[in-house]
Amino acid sequence: MRTDVRRGAAATGMDQFPVGMRVLAVDDDPVCLKVLETLLRRCQYHVTATNQAVIALRMLRENRDMFDLVISDVHMPDMDGFKLLELVGLEMDLPVIMLSVNGETKTVMKGITHGACDYLLKPVRIEELRNIWQHVVRRKFSTRDSVNLDTYEECNKPPSADSDYVFGQVTCGSPDQSGRPSKKRKEYHSEEEDEDEDSSGQDNDDPSAPKRPRVVWSVELHRKFVAAVNHLGIDKAVPKRILELMNVEKLTRENVASHLQKYRLYLRRLSAVASQQAGIVAALGGRDPFLRMDAFEGLQGYQAFTSPAALSTFSAHGLLNSPRNNQTAVVIQGVATSRSIPTGSSSCTTNPLIGDAAKYHLSLPGNQHGNLGQGLATSLGQAQLQQKWMNEGSGDLSTILSGNSRANGMPRMLPSVTSSPLLPPDLVECTQAKVAIQPSVRAPSASVELLEGAIGASSGPLESRVSQQSALPSSGFSANMLPVHGSFNNNGASFSSNGATRLGDAFSASFRPTNDLTVARGTKVGAGSFGGTIHLSPDTEQKYLSFGSSDSLLDPKLVWSSSQLPSNIGAHYHSMSQRSNNCSIDSSHGGRMFGQTSASASTAAPQTKFDILFSGDTSMARNASESGPQRLQSELSSSTCSFDGLLNSMIKVVR
Amino acid sequence: MDYSNLRRQAASLKKGLFDQGHLDEQFRQVEDLQDEASPNFVEEVVVVFFKDSGRLISNLEQALEKYPRDFNRWDAYMQQLKGSCSSIGASRMKNECMSFRDNCGQRSVEGCMGSLQKLKREHAILRQKLESYFQLLRQVGPAGAATRPAM
Repeated sequence: MRTDVRRGAAATGMDQFPVGMRVLAVDDDPVCLKVLETLLRRCQYHVTATNQAVIALRMLRENRDMFDLVISDVHMPDMDGFKLLELVGLEMDLPVIMLSVNGETKTVMKGITHGACDYLLKPVRIEELRNIWQHVVRRKFSTRDSVNLDTYEECNKPPSADSDYVFGQVTCGSPDQSGRPSKKRKEYHSEEEDEDEDSSGQDNDDPSAPKRPRVVWSVELHRKFVAAVNHLGIDKAVPKRILELMNVEKLTRENVASHLQKYRLYLRRLSAVASQQAGIVAALGGRDPFLRMDAFEGLQGYQAFTSPAALSTFSAHGLLNSPRNNQTAVVIQGVATSRSIPTGSSSCTTNPLIGDAAKYHLSLPGNQHGNLGQGLATSLGQAQLQQKWMNEGSGDLSTILSGNSRANGMPRMLPSVTSSPLLPPDLVECTQAKVAIQPSVRAPSASVELLEGAIGASSGPLESRVSQQSALPSSGFSANMLPVHGSFNNNGASFSSNGATRLGDAFSASFRPTNDLTVARGTKVGAGSFGGTIHLSPDTEQKYLSFGSSDSLLDPKLVWSSSQLPSNIGAHYHSMSQRSNNCSIDSSHGGRMFGQTSASASTAAPQTKFDILFSGDTSMARNASESGPQRLQSELSSSTCSFDGLLNSMIKVVR
Repeated sequence: MDYSNLRRQAASLKKGLFDQGHLDEQFRQVEDLQDEASPNFVEEVVVVFFKDSGRLISNLEQALEKYPRDFNRWDAYMQQLKGSCSSIGASRMKNECMSFRDNCGQRSVEGCMGSLQKLKREHAILRQKLESYFQLLRQVGPAGAATRPAM
């Protein structure tokens, strides 16, 4: 059985899943809660019940591994059930079942689009509860697959191509596990067509065939990919030609095709998001927003961000010159400047963005940052994560994140990302947002910068840490900052119009070899993803927010908080990412927007994978983590970080 | 103590509740959850239910006064109450909840007021009957109560 499931089962002392499955039940109605709790116990699950969503969230955030499944009422006084659903999906990537008296189609639809695995009507019958364990298994298998693959890949270090990987060969891990999961996954595939959880696995794997190693799209690889796509033109980019241009051994046309599909979805989503994100830019511009993290809550904060004026100030600033540490600022700036920054040109301004972002981030620490902050935090978080991975100091980030997270319900990505203290989702989100902000900035560098900046900004120690570890060339940053894809920042409109293309550009730009950013370090991977995300620029952020929304019915604010965002992005990007469908991101998987820095250059430190782009189902993240240093893996694995998911899905090391 | 007689009375009382529609199948499900581990589960749930529903009804009444014609708010309150009722199987009360919500939908203050009164009446009836029921069970004692009267 999957490690997680096993762990859960093991926790109860018996490997008899679903017996002992740990359920968290949330319902403000004491009668319902009591009955539900007893019903669940009757099913032999291990139940924790609470009548307050905030308590539930806290418990989940403290230790995501404490539970296998969440059941929640829709109508609760302290927090809307849908919101909880999104948060859980995003941050913890746990399956969530909704409960309600209301069985109206539109409400049920809302639940599903927000990522609920199931929607039960009250009064709940015990027969229904007896089957809920399926959702846990399903999810585990879908994520496991990728993870397994990664593990297998690593274990086998294969130079062989996909075909060489025979099912039997992939026994790096526990043979029985590998065998079973894949089989089951296949079964699930056929059963759960609509669930995208397995999509990631599907990309490279033919469900009916033996498992094949999954291609991990490293930053490098993705960079090449984007470069190729841009060279051909996003509309004309066909897998065959892309493959030719990329000239990568052992990469198949199918790999490219699936990656391209995700990329296209991602772009589409970005442009959709961009149009909604005008506010984000504004928000990003001001420092204060960062402080007002709580604004983030449900994205509403975005609107509350400082006015564009603030942003413009930034743009004017020499964000460019901001040193690495200012990446954050730059990022922010970028967001703001997105308006002013010309598209496609790698203007220095992009850097400033990052720098500002960093600055912003600085302001964030310890504050309830505003949405921007969150965004930054997120990106910073990512960057930090990357850095953090490098060094142990995830604490800071976590702190920051936690602070931010409190502010709003950031996707849970962060937690998953850092093994260390759970990074508040907020931060994670921020990071993502940040990344988005960076469009102008070279993705890789930007991200790196951002990361650095973020890291530095977020906490002093981080900074030092950052500098230690990443040799991110900040210098390159300014000059080569990725061209701000003006569309991004400027406003949703431009973004949307150019979004797709720009993104592509940004994407490729970020991947340009010229980026001397350490991104390569591992951040590259992230960068790649970052780039992707970065390109998002403020719009992106909004996109982040709206990621979910663009694709789902969630509104921006929901998107933000919900995993939707990430998932959308990730999902699009990666078909792999657990689909947001399931829970808005898979919802549960939520989009991890964080890119994961694949191992690439990253130093010894565990590679943080930023699944920036990918809303990444957690599984993705997991995968990513898997591909990355094992260490990271362990860290990440605990928390299905969205980061992982996102980037991982995108940037997996090529087998 | 004539346990069998008391048991018979309890059974009869309960049967009456079901026959008259005060309780539905869900109540049986709740009863099924009672076991050695939680021997008084049903009564505990019922106690919680009446306490909570009493509170909700009272809140609703206040809201009716404080927020005149605020049908959305009233509806929201009622939805909570409906959830409770359905969880325990309080069928008639649940029906009144639904009727209240319908009236909210039709924006009929009078209709809502009428539904609320009926709801309160059903609430009182059910409470009184169930209290009698549990009292009988208590008299019968654990030994007697252990064997759930066949319904």
